[in-house]
Amino acid sequence: MRRSHISRRQFALIAGSAGAAPFLLSGAEPLTAEGVIRRIQTELGGEWGSAGPDGFKAGDTSTVVKGIATTAMATLDVLKQAARANANLVLTYEPTFYGRSDGAPSATGRGPGGPGADDPVVKAKREFIAKNGLVVFRLRDHWQARKANEMVAALAESLGWSKYRLRSDDALYDIPAATAEAAVNAIRGRLNLRAGLRAVGDRRATVRRVLLYPGVMPLATMWQRYSEADLVVTGEVREWESTFYAADIFTAGGKRSLVTVGRVVSEEPGMRMCADWLKAVVPLPAGWIGAGDPYWRPV
Amino acid sequence: MTGREVVELIKKNSGVTWNEQSFRDTFKAGNPDSQVKGIASTMMTTFDVLKRANEAGLNMVISHEDTYWNDRDDTKDLTNNPLYKAKTEYILKNDMIVWRNHDGLHAMKPDFTVLASLRAVGIKAGDEAVMNAPVYTIPETTLGEFAAQVKRLTGARAFRCVGDPKAKISRILLGPGYATPRMRADVDVVIGGEQQEADGGFDNVEYVMDAASLGMAKGVIMLGHVMSEQPGMEHFATWLKGFVHDVPIRFIPNEEPFW
Repeated sequence: MRRSHISRRQFALIAGSAGAAPFLLSGAEPLTAEGVIRRIQTELGGEWGSAGPDGFKAGDTSTVVKGIATTAMATLDVLKQAARANANLVLTYEPTFYGRSDGAPSATGRGPGGPGADDPVVKAKREFIAKNGLVVFRLRDHWQARKANEMVAALAESLGWSKYRLRSDDALYDIPAATAEAAVNAIRGRLNLRAGLRAVGDRRATVRRVLLYPGVMPLATMWQRYSEADLVVTGEVREWESTFYAADIFTAGGKRSLVTVGRVVSEEPGMRMCADWLKAVVPLPAGWIGAGDPYWRPV
Repeated sequence: MTGREVVELIKKNSGVTWNEQSFRDTFKAGNPDSQVKGIASTMMTTFDVLKRANEAGLNMVISHEDTYWNDRDDTKDLTNNPLYKAKTEYILKNDMIVWRNHDGLHAMKPDFTVLASLRAVGIKAGDEAVMNAPVYTIPETTLGEFAAQVKRLTGARAFRCVGDPKAKISRILLGPGYATPRMRADVDVVIGGEQQEADGGFDNVEYVMDAASLGMAKGVIMLGHVMSEQPGMEHFATWLKGFVHDVPIRFIPNEEPFW
């Protein structure tokens, strides 16, 4: 399934910024991928050890960077769009090679790893990256840690709810009253969702207070905070845990709802914000490319 | 007959060496020595299922999944939780007994969750249907046609598919619940219940998106956790009737939780 209407818009975003920003500061050394990442690391601060998911995943780190693309997940379609837009450094929030280990053997040598280097999809993706001179860097923990709730602020902006935030240090929003069903439909439209959106709870209840939790909402948060809001919007939960907690609250008469929009989709706005932030950090064109809602269902 | 006696009969008839150390297959609430008036077989002990079982006069609930919203049914953080209290009080007030049958059920040959789930999506499976099931070959069709058939047969509303609907597929690999199998070279379509979307051991979603981008015929169908294992508990109820004759036994399906 193609999502060309998204691609064109995102392509324009990158192309537009390429025209507006200077390619290189005059007299400055060309910035390599390594140099760009060093600037990002300095700006974000914190420890950048080898532990954790952040780091280079593919490509030659000495490549001169022409432009930067940010994305929630560096799928092959995203990489193709990046290459077309002349963005040869890709910063991705989620893995590139189908698992947390991102193509590397696990540190302990045990446990589940992603597919091996001889897997045909892995090989084709690596070949595409090499042929197009791309460099892929995973930027998750350090971007998420940058400023509390920035992923939240970005998601709220995408939903058109920025001005309804209750406190800058929390993720609660008081939106104009609507039924849960209407609020969920608005979310579906705003985030351009297909089958990735699933909702559970009381669809006829009135929603005013919303809790936003991009990414994966842990069970402990569900237990602690579900009753603070009329509607909780998150990326994903464990279905056999939090989804059925919400279902049980509904059976017990609770007038609340839980909506999951998809992990990657919920992280997209935060990575779009990352592209805007980058423009002030490195003198290079930067834009965001959406991976889109992966899911569909037959009618 | 007491709840404990019912469980002993299940263990004896299962044909497996029962793992008594399993933290899953234990009594979760109620008094195991209470008299059983009737047995409800279900996928997940939701509040809704408890009420429907009680109203039908079935005071013992045997469920494949948990009662208190986590795999270990750990309740130490829930002691002041009003929903936990209400659910537990309902069980005790109505002299209900809840027992989970998860690991033992998955160890049986065939594994009812796998067997019944395969049949529910239109695949003729037999005793070979166990965890890490074999790959089944169906007459070639498209992913879109197959997904539509699965939707029709299961009635699942909220299931999710990834991949090119026009891809020609015939080799199916199914794993129920959270045991969604990894995509591999000899498989066209993986069918599972649920799986972490990204950043896990093996991310099927991104893998299949990229395979589709390369023109490879690959697809994932996520039925939802309950929809993928629930048929197995209907099968279990039928099996249980083979050796528990004194009390009524009924399969009580979970409603699909999603709108």
